[in-house]
Amino acid sequence: MAKTIHIDPVTRIEGHARILLECDDSGSVEEAFFIVNELRGFERILVGMEAHTLPQITARICGVCPTAHHLAAAKALDDAAGVEPPPAAKLMRELMYMGHFIHSHALSLYILAGPDLVFGLHGDTATQNVVGMVEKNPELTRKGLRMRSIGQKINEVVGGRGIHPVTAIAGGVAVKLSDAQYSRLQELTTEAVELAAELVPLSKELLLRLLDDNPVLLEQLNVPSWYLGTVNSSGTLNVYDGTLRAMDEQGEIRAEFTAAQYQDYLVERTVSRSYAKEVYLDIDSAEHMYRVSTLARMNVADGIETERAQREFEEFRSRFGRPCHNAVVQMYCKLVELVYACERADEIINNPELRGESRVAARFSGGRGVGHVEAPRGVLVHDYQIDENGIVRGANMIVATQQNTAAINKSLKEGAINLLDGGDEKLLNGLEFVVRCYDPCLACSTHALGRMELDIEVISGNETIRRLRRN
Amino acid sequence: MSSGKIRLNTDWLCDCGGCHVALVDLHEKILQVLESVQIQHCPVLTDIKDYPEAEIGILTGSIRTEHDRHAAEKMRETCKTIIAFGTCAVYGGLHGAGLAHSREEIMEHVYQKSPTTRTDTLPDTDVSKLEKLVTPVDEVIDVDLYLPGCPPHAHYIFESLKSLIENRKPVAGQDSVCGRCARQMVRGDATAIKNSLDGIPDENICFMSQGYICLGSATLDRCLSPCPNHGIACTGCAGPTMQILSEPYLDIRSEVSERMSRLTAIERETIKTHMEKTAKTQYAYAMATKMIGSKPTFLIKKWIADVEAG
Repeated sequence: MAKTIHIDPVTRIEGHARILLECDDSGSVEEAFFIVNELRGFERILVGMEAHTLPQITARICGVCPTAHHLAAAKALDDAAGVEPPPAAKLMRELMYMGHFIHSHALSLYILAGPDLVFGLHGDTATQNVVGMVEKNPELTRKGLRMRSIGQKINEVVGGRGIHPVTAIAGGVAVKLSDAQYSRLQELTTEAVELAAELVPLSKELLLRLLDDNPVLLEQLNVPSWYLGTVNSSGTLNVYDGTLRAMDEQGEIRAEFTAAQYQDYLVERTVSRSYAKEVYLDIDSAEHMYRVSTLARMNVADGIETERAQREFEEFRSRFGRPCHNAVVQMYCKLVELVYACERADEIINNPELRGESRVAARFSGGRGVGHVEAPRGVLVHDYQIDENGIVRGANMIVATQQNTAAINKSLKEGAINLLDGGDEKLLNGLEFVVRCYDPCLACSTHALGRMELDIEVISGNETIRRLRRN
Repeated sequence: MSSGKIRLNTDWLCDCGGCHVALVDLHEKILQVLESVQIQHCPVLTDIKDYPEAEIGILTGSIRTEHDRHAAEKMRETCKTIIAFGTCAVYGGLHGAGLAHSREEIMEHVYQKSPTTRTDTLPDTDVSKLEKLVTPVDEVIDVDLYLPGCPPHAHYIFESLKSLIENRKPVAGQDSVCGRCARQMVRGDATAIKNSLDGIPDENICFMSQGYICLGSATLDRCLSPCPNHGIACTGCAGPTMQILSEPYLDIRSEVSERMSRLTAIERETIKTHMEKTAKTQYAYAMATKMIGSKPTFLIKKWIADVEAG
């Protein structure tokens, strides 16, 4: 007689979901499922729309990483129209994106995972939030909030809006920066670099303490998998553009391909228990479970092109090796990327090419366009079929979180095996933490997600043996 | 519970999460709000999973599954004042375009017709079934206040929370997006409708005057007009103005075609027909609301089907 455990809802991740544990007769966990319980169906909705509006429309797939969708869409439209945006446009898009990365990583580190850093994993529910954080560690909280705010302002100045930016279009960017905006951005990027230097040691100390205090989590979250991430032609980290690099469990690079070739390497599988599909890397006639996001990017990259981030990267690698399979370390990786995003934004604003022409004419004559970026949570691909009247005839998207679903399930299973015999509260907190380490963004992964609910249900056969909800 | 603070619950139905991010994006101002407000149920900020009683309830997103319906009802039971927050909650939002397709068609498209999907099955265990339609919140529960916007600008969010805390009426005008747009409305000589990629629009002149469809004049300002001030025509993301909503024979396409025909050499009927042919784009955010859907001249399903037939 098998049994199921549900956790509902998993809070403090973007979106809502449930966890389901399936046990065998003896009560040991056989399968764990992370259930995404919402579907919007963008691939169908986009068909019939005017293609030139897709960068604005598809941003609405996800309010947490709208800039990633906005830019993937603009790049797919460049491709469909067969145009190359001018250098200034590429720099403006990347600058907007650095702002978004700062904003997004600061949200994860200081708002969503922040309470775990400040209070540890077993804090009181009532204070386990940003309000409690302000009281306990005002310096970290205020600096974290300020960092997030700087990121969003950079995103907003270049993108027109912060949440759901609008300025990237086929062929480039619809505006040029005014002198006032230019000076404002210079102030912001300078402040960002300085603030990062203050935040990193504070955050690193808390993070390492969290790892020391919870050795069990470190062990059980060591889930070997393949990785997929984007690198420059020189093999260094790039989140706006580059080649997709696939690495296996041993750390061997097994394939490098362009976004346009994604269909030859990535396959999706529908699962019966969730609206989010799973994705596998199809290489050498076998399907491999893989992960994307910050950890994957740290694993596949050979280095980082900005100075301070490269130092952090080297320290990370000497601490955790290559490849590092531990999901808890994602928070550390975000810190490294936060430093990179601040430095890169500062580099771009000081590049004179930024002030050049920002768009070229673009026109659709019927055909397909594929675009990709590294969303904060991993590889994002947009693929459109556009007719000669500029109307969308087909759309396919591979989003970050769905690519991690298989690995999340595996980590949950490992976690549950260790935690099932502890108390309810321990199981709830432990499994929620596992999910949060992957930082899933559910809005994206069903292009769709709504509810990140955590409801642990233990089933055996068709019978529910135990159901946990935190009250 | 700390004494004297106003208690707030928020919940997130079917949406992109952007409205909750917008709340957090009050940034340092969130700390100011927190001096007077106690945040209880709030999926991105707290670990509280039940629905305690509260003075204010913010609901983002529309109703897509039974689960959403249940959550909306729970919020209504426990909160004194319910705010439908964001365009999805107020009008159904972008995925309201799901209205044009059956749920079976959407499921089939996503799970069975996708070029990269190898399986041929549908998710059917442990997931909440999709409801037949995408429904704005006020068709399921009573709503006290509406704050559309995709997402609403921090200026309006802060004002709405502040007015509730101070127990006064919020200051929120009924201007259209044109109100804060810096472009000049002039009579132009455009003879044909352009899309945003035709030529490079003059940055100082109204989009409509140049022959580009812009929904600014038909859209409520809950954004401070960033798009037309950044080179992009308004796509109507905050939903229609009150005037359009309340007059049965006034509509987004009638309003825009009327005004644009006066600003160009393009016939009103030509513009109106063009907007019907591109209805999925022009009505992207608000087609799921009955306030638009029940207008006698609104034939969106037909317009969309005609375009898809090619």
